[in-house]
Amino acid sequence: MSTDLPFASVTDLARMIARKEVSPVEVVRLHLERIAAHDGTLRAYITVCADAALDAARTAEAALVAGRPAGPLHGVPIALKDLYDTAGVATTAGSKILADRVPEADATVVRRLREAGAIVLGKLHMVEFAYGPEGLNAHYGAPRNPWDAAVERMPGGSSSGSGVAVAAGLAPAALGSDTGGSIRIPASLCGITGLKPTYGRVSRAGVLPLAWSMDHVGPMTRTAADSALLLRVMAGYDPADASSSVLPVPDYLAALSGDVKGLRVGLLRGFFLESATPEVRAAVEHAAKALESAGAIVDEVALPAVAHVAAASYAVVASEALAYHTGWLKTRPDDYDPEVRKRLQLGAFVTGAHYVRGQQVRALVRDEIDAALARRDVLLAPATPMTAPRLDERQTTLGDGPSDVRAALIRLTRPFNCSGHPACAVPCGLSAQGLPIGMQLVGRPFDEATVLRAADAYQRVTDWHTRRPVLA
Amino acid sequence: MNEVFDIETLRGAARVSGFGWTAEELQTLRPAIEAALRLLATLDALPLGAVEPTTQYRIL
Repeated sequence: MSTDLPFASVTDLARMIARKEVSPVEVVRLHLERIAAHDGTLRAYITVCADAALDAARTAEAALVAGRPAGPLHGVPIALKDLYDTAGVATTAGSKILADRVPEADATVVRRLREAGAIVLGKLHMVEFAYGPEGLNAHYGAPRNPWDAAVERMPGGSSSGSGVAVAAGLAPAALGSDTGGSIRIPASLCGITGLKPTYGRVSRAGVLPLAWSMDHVGPMTRTAADSALLLRVMAGYDPADASSSVLPVPDYLAALSGDVKGLRVGLLRGFFLESATPEVRAAVEHAAKALESAGAIVDEVALPAVAHVAAASYAVVASEALAYHTGWLKTRPDDYDPEVRKRLQLGAFVTGAHYVRGQQVRALVRDEIDAALARRDVLLAPATPMTAPRLDERQTTLGDGPSDVRAALIRLTRPFNCSGHPACAVPCGLSAQGLPIGMQLVGRPFDEATVLRAADAYQRVTDWHTRRPVLA
Repeated sequence: MNEVFDIETLRGAARVSGFGWTAEELQTLRPAIEAALRLLATLDALPLGAVEPTTQYRIL
């Protein structure tokens, strides 16, 4: 078996399985072996569904032999952030409170992925109830960033296990969720591709919430093409999600022409680029030049209203999170990680007027981004302003001065949770310390096709997405 | 806003939200509460009067 198979793309795996060049059982077994070998150190998984995954792989193999492939992901293993409901498998949200919660049904997107032939390897580590960007978890231990396991750096969160598993070859693809950057932050810190689709594009039914009006769910993969393939399966109207869009789902893979000639790219200066560390800024500027060399038309643009996003996002997320957690906060306060409990408690001091002002700022930010995208196809910015901090690091220095690590990690991603625009994090460099640097491409609402086309075209002319961490 | 809140004021605010947190808990929380309120006060300073708040999130 090829040594490259653990890092084969989903599109390649699906093709190889369909052609019977490799069997689903071999692929699943290979990943289970890698999980057994490395997850004791990396801690990407909370639950490994070894027996169920092997059973599903055998069924997939039999179906293939009988000429009855299930769909475009037939036999391809994936893993799920542990807030996606899975029938018969514990779904903990990384918490002690839900440690024994076993859903009776799959989340809508999990059902769709299984129907397309995907096999669930297991449930992935996350920040408790998705409330934090560092990737830490007091209950289950913090996952380790595979790029620097020896010195114990943050994987980023809240979809920490998703970032680690995909980067380390413990799953070909994973699902994450993103309320302030929780797909794009671990994607950036772990050197993978992570797509936050437009709000309403992918059903949230059966996915435990943090803040309903900010929550997005999406794929975390090693290539933009893989995100395109997964999004096609995941997206589409779902009557079980009140925010679900009825817009038809395009063929995202077919949109990946590799051609960005004439594509108008707005490089986000000011708040975005100036806050980045010098090496992150240089990498993103270099990425802009790479797109320009491929035929894109790059100009610079600023979004002044995003300066108010921190306050607006805080007012909205703290209020919605408190509303969801009020019962447990009263009856089981000691079962929360103290840091997460504190974040929830602070929501009690946000007034209704602050919540509405937060929503007003969201309207301003949305309109400003829409205006920038009226004359451009995508916007380009760093995904995180710095590379992965150490696990114990609480303060850092950005391009515009000192910052709390938590605030720094979430600073550049959450504007697009406030606005709902699609945004895709893509690796665009390595730091002097060998840590991944990530950028994000942002598009018009429901135009994930253009975002993914730009990301894929960038990956055709660069090789950052092919770099792998060396595991101990 | 740099207002400093005493524990009884915070206890009253928490009680309005339905939480009976102790003085000790609120003392621990107080720096974070005051930082959060300073952040929220920046929203009060914005000219948002005529802006329609986002409520439907552009569902199509």
